[in-house]
Amino acid sequence: MNQADLLDQFVIEARECLEAIGKRLLDVEQQPDNEALLNDLFRSVHTLKGNCGLFEFKALERVVHAGEDLLDRVRHRTLAYSAELADALLEAMDYSAQLIDQIERHGRIEGAADAASMAHASALRAFVCEPTSVPQLESAAPAATGARHSVPCQDDSPPWMKRLHLAGLTSRAGLLALRYVPEEGCFFKGEDPWRLARTVPGLLQLDIQGAGAWPQGEDRAAWDCYQCNLDIVLCTDAPRAEVEAHFRCVAEQVNWYAATPDAAADTSDVTSAVANAIGCVDPVSPLLHQRVVALWNDQCDLLERVGDSAGTVLAARNAMGHLLACLDNGAACAALAELPEGVQAASLLAWARANAPAAKEAVRAAARAVRPEPDIGTPPQRSDDGSTSQPQKVLKVGQEKVDRLMELIGEMVVAKNSLPYLAQRAEQVFQQRELAREIKAQYAVINRIAEDMQHAIMQVRMLPVGAVFQRFGRLIRDISRKLGKEVNLVVEGEDTEADKNVIEPLADPLIHILRNSLDHGIELPAVRLAAGKPAAGTIRIVARQESDRVIIEIHDDGAGVNAARVRDKAVERGLIPADKAATLSDDDAVQLIFLPGFSTADEISDLSGRGVGMDVVRTAIERINGGVELSSVQGQGTTLRLSLPLSMAVTTVMVIESAGRRLGVPMDMIVETVRVPAGDVHHFKQARTTVLRGRVVPLRALNDLLALDAAPVPNEEGELAVLVIRHANESVGLLVDHFHGASDIILKPLEGVLAGLVGFAGTALMGDGGVLMVLNPKELLQ
Amino acid sequence: MTIRYLKKHAALEGHVAVDDAEALAQWLLLQRDPAVHLGKCAGVHGAVLQVLLALRPTVKAMPADPFLAAVLGSS
Repeated sequence: MNQADLLDQFVIEARECLEAIGKRLLDVEQQPDNEALLNDLFRSVHTLKGNCGLFEFKALERVVHAGEDLLDRVRHRTLAYSAELADALLEAMDYSAQLIDQIERHGRIEGAADAASMAHASALRAFVCEPTSVPQLESAAPAATGARHSVPCQDDSPPWMKRLHLAGLTSRAGLLALRYVPEEGCFFKGEDPWRLARTVPGLLQLDIQGAGAWPQGEDRAAWDCYQCNLDIVLCTDAPRAEVEAHFRCVAEQVNWYAATPDAAADTSDVTSAVANAIGCVDPVSPLLHQRVVALWNDQCDLLERVGDSAGTVLAARNAMGHLLACLDNGAACAALAELPEGVQAASLLAWARANAPAAKEAVRAAARAVRPEPDIGTPPQRSDDGSTSQPQKVLKVGQEKVDRLMELIGEMVVAKNSLPYLAQRAEQVFQQRELAREIKAQYAVINRIAEDMQHAIMQVRMLPVGAVFQRFGRLIRDISRKLGKEVNLVVEGEDTEADKNVIEPLADPLIHILRNSLDHGIELPAVRLAAGKPAAGTIRIVARQESDRVIIEIHDDGAGVNAARVRDKAVERGLIPADKAATLSDDDAVQLIFLPGFSTADEISDLSGRGVGMDVVRTAIERINGGVELSSVQGQGTTLRLSLPLSMAVTTVMVIESAGRRLGVPMDMIVETVRVPAGDVHHFKQARTTVLRGRVVPLRALNDLLALDAAPVPNEEGELAVLVIRHANESVGLLVDHFHGASDIILKPLEGVLAGLVGFAGTALMGDGGVLMVLNPKELLQ
Repeated sequence: MTIRYLKKHAALEGHVAVDDAEALAQWLLLQRDPAVHLGKCAGVHGAVLQVLLALRPTVKAMPADPFLAAVLGSS
């Protein structure tokens, strides 16, 4: 597996982890005392963090690590789970998802993400940083990792610093102290804490003692010398990064402390003092300061040398101005600007000496001299509770591979359909009846296998509808909190399966529907109580299979749709004429909300009210051959019923013939096929109608719609073939020449120059090798 | 073996590995007046150091490593 594959795998797994985390976060919020859920949540986060460690995704790891620390506290009951905490975690999770998107697109994280990830991480750390957690500084190292953030401005050093004798070392620059408390089982992991500590680069001092008391008296015999009980404190002058790299395997057992000597105020060695003073606070700024100070000194040297050359003085002055701006030293900048225009080199030099940035920095640095450092990520840890080695029973395959397989099977199905033609030819052209029969027998076998194959590949592509429902918990939680409403989401039948291509486009329409329900449907708790309903509204999503359709019902027990208001709004917006609106029944009026541009909301909120709601939903559902029905009882709630095909891969079409051309019409649009005697067709100006079972059905000649210059051909008995299709809840008859029966086809959308063609849904390859154009009657009739 | 258990003391020589920690602990516990000789000791494993820190035998000769010597001397 090369790096790219590994990265793809990482992205897939990270997404899964995030999804699981999102779900668990909501679950845990419901039942904060459920240990199993918490552990599961923690494990997901831990896995994600471990995976991040495989790559150099510091920004991501930082956030996830912070989340892990936080959850660890929650898990150990040192921190209570709260809605705010969940908010922060969810936000961090969203941010992680963004980062993963970035990784997928570019294979890396943009540099700009660093700051944002810091912000998220510190937001999470802020929860850990409660005053009560300060005493934990002396507790076990992993906990202290978070705890040290709780004392960001504490001036005095941690107690363990007393174990080092730094008196003679204060003149040394950039001293770094750390405390390393190895975990108990470290010897069994092949670690040697002593060796690790002893080999620290630039080691100056080292102290070791028992983390707990050493055994005394009788206990000594039972003492297990392989339970590590060491507590190591050391001091080094090596750069932090180097020391960090040294401890990368046990980073969470190490406590850092920048033991900056007080001698920072000594400006004789300005450069090193500054670098030292601010040395380990920020990874970038020490270098910057160092350079600034060096440049400043250069300017001073220059001024000393040149005497009174006005140009050089001006240049030096400009350079100093820029250096100060670079340090954000506004006051000094202003002071510099106040110096007279034609200042002499000597006076500028004096000023520069007096106002050297180093001195100021040293003072500032001294103030924060003994300040614990921010956490700079931790290398991956595989601790014993990490469930990183779950048995893999699921094969992860890219969708395009399955699609390719399905395409091949589709071709197989089509190819197999040519056998009956072959049998026919054998019989009729070559007079080989025996051979024809054998071919037919073989065809039956191949047909069965092909159908099984098709069925099997469909199963592979099947996805439980719950896959889309998953994200709704979060959505409802966020929106209802925002709106101040109380909403329970009940999901039933999330195991119902349908084709991936049907399920995935559902997400957006469903989110629209839920938002509508939340915004317009469910009332505020007070209003609900007044109406005699429970304060918390319920949104129920039920999925089930009905023959070859998947039905999804979204029901809310809110206010329902106000038919009168819908009518008024539709007229007001000019969507239907007022007289027509008045004749509509309440049920029909409610359907008006599906009209493009309809909105009842007077104010546009960020949730809804832009009038792009329900018609978008309907269009999206219809695109996947589904249908939407709405029923609403005012005061009791609204039910939306989505009916979707199980699969879009195989379409059943009716093959018809018109003007000598074979055409397909999707079966799900056909109501019936009838033969109407020519005499029963009524002509009224250009329009033709007929009466079917007491209802007037408008007739359109397919030839006219396709701009073919031929009249419909009646059969021997003078009857016209009428294909009755459903169009916008009404029946329309299409006059065709012949019916040829139904056929299962694999519909291919029109591509290339044909893509813009209106009136056709696509093409299909027939068994005899011919191409069947499949009509889209809806587009034709518009 | 990097530890030679002599009559009066155990002589730790070269680098003393983790496996020797338990045996050393057992031996030290059996002695009335346990003592170790680290004069030829180049280094010890953390577990061995822990044994020395916990059971505090008399150190007859300090190791060459100043840090190790300091740690053993102070305890």
